Amino acid sequence: MNTALSRLNTIFAFTLSVMAGLTFLCFLSTFFNEHKADVAINTGKVIVKNVPDYSAGREKNDLGFVVFDLQTDILFLDCPWLLTTFLPQGIFNWNVKQLFLYLFAEYETEDHKLNQVVIWDKIIKRGENSVLDYKKANTKYYFWDFGNGLRSNKNVTLSLSWNVIPNAGTLPKIQGVGQHKIEFPSEYSPNRFQ
Amino acid sequence: MDIKAYLPEAIKKIPTHMDFVGQKKAEKMFQMIIISFAVVGFIWGYICQQFSQTMYILITGFVISCLLTLPPWSMFRKNPLSWQKARPEAEEIGSTTTSASAQKSKKKK
Repeated sequence: MNTALSRLNTIFAFTLSVMAGLTFLCFLSTFFNEHKADVAINTGKVIVKNVPDYSAGREKNDLGFVVFDLQTDILFLDCPWLLTTFLPQGIFNWNVKQLFLYLFAEYETEDHKLNQVVIWDKIIKRGENSVLDYKKANTKYYFWDFGNGLRSNKNVTLSLSWNVIPNAGTLPKIQGVGQHKIEFPSEYSPNRFQ
Repeated sequence: MDIKAYLPEAIKKIPTHMDFVGQKKAEKMFQMIIISFAVVGFIWGYICQQFSQTMYILITGFVISCLLTLPPWSMFRKNPLSWQKARPEAEEIGSTTTSASAQKSKKKK
């Protein structure tokens, strides 16, 4: 503390300690949030084809085509009085940097007990619109089955999950409340139709 | 070698030290400033749910406390140490140097 440099050092170290403390408090203030949200998923046309996946080999695998509707409003502000008094609608709490949402199908086949295929995803950054409303959206990724398990599979569940990327703390993985069951037809669609 | 010898008198007169009481005062001051900015920043950041606001407010506190306590302002120099009067110099210097040189020569032996 006797020279300007040593004072600068002390002040800087002290500020960093306080900063770490604030970050920890921020983490504590959101630690008990559930980050839950309701999701409404619906599907339109559902077909299945039997085509070779040349990226994997020459044998024919099942390829599903799904057109889906998706509505959700993911708000992570578990503090209603703040929302009604100060804040605009549709913002994240202060410990959320961005969300990574992914829509995945889960089903069982004869060969494999648990199959999970991510067919669509989206990143929502802080400040962007977190109210999703998709109508007749196409999947982003191919819905390949690992074999021939999709045709006449009557129990394929679509659900939306998300990772919360925080400023500080844990990286929770949350499954949205609300699923949708799709039933694949028992006939393959001819290849010339999309 | 020392750069001080070449500086003009006006610059040499600028005080660069804080006394002990001033140092204690400065330390308390920046701690108070930074902590109060941190508290305000936490509350404000929570209200608008933007952690970046908290960080900006804390950094503002850092800058302000740097401005207030880094330079040795006159408020930190109000309790100078009262040194003893210097003794008459000529003989003292002579005696000390001789004793020091005597010690050195003893060590060499």
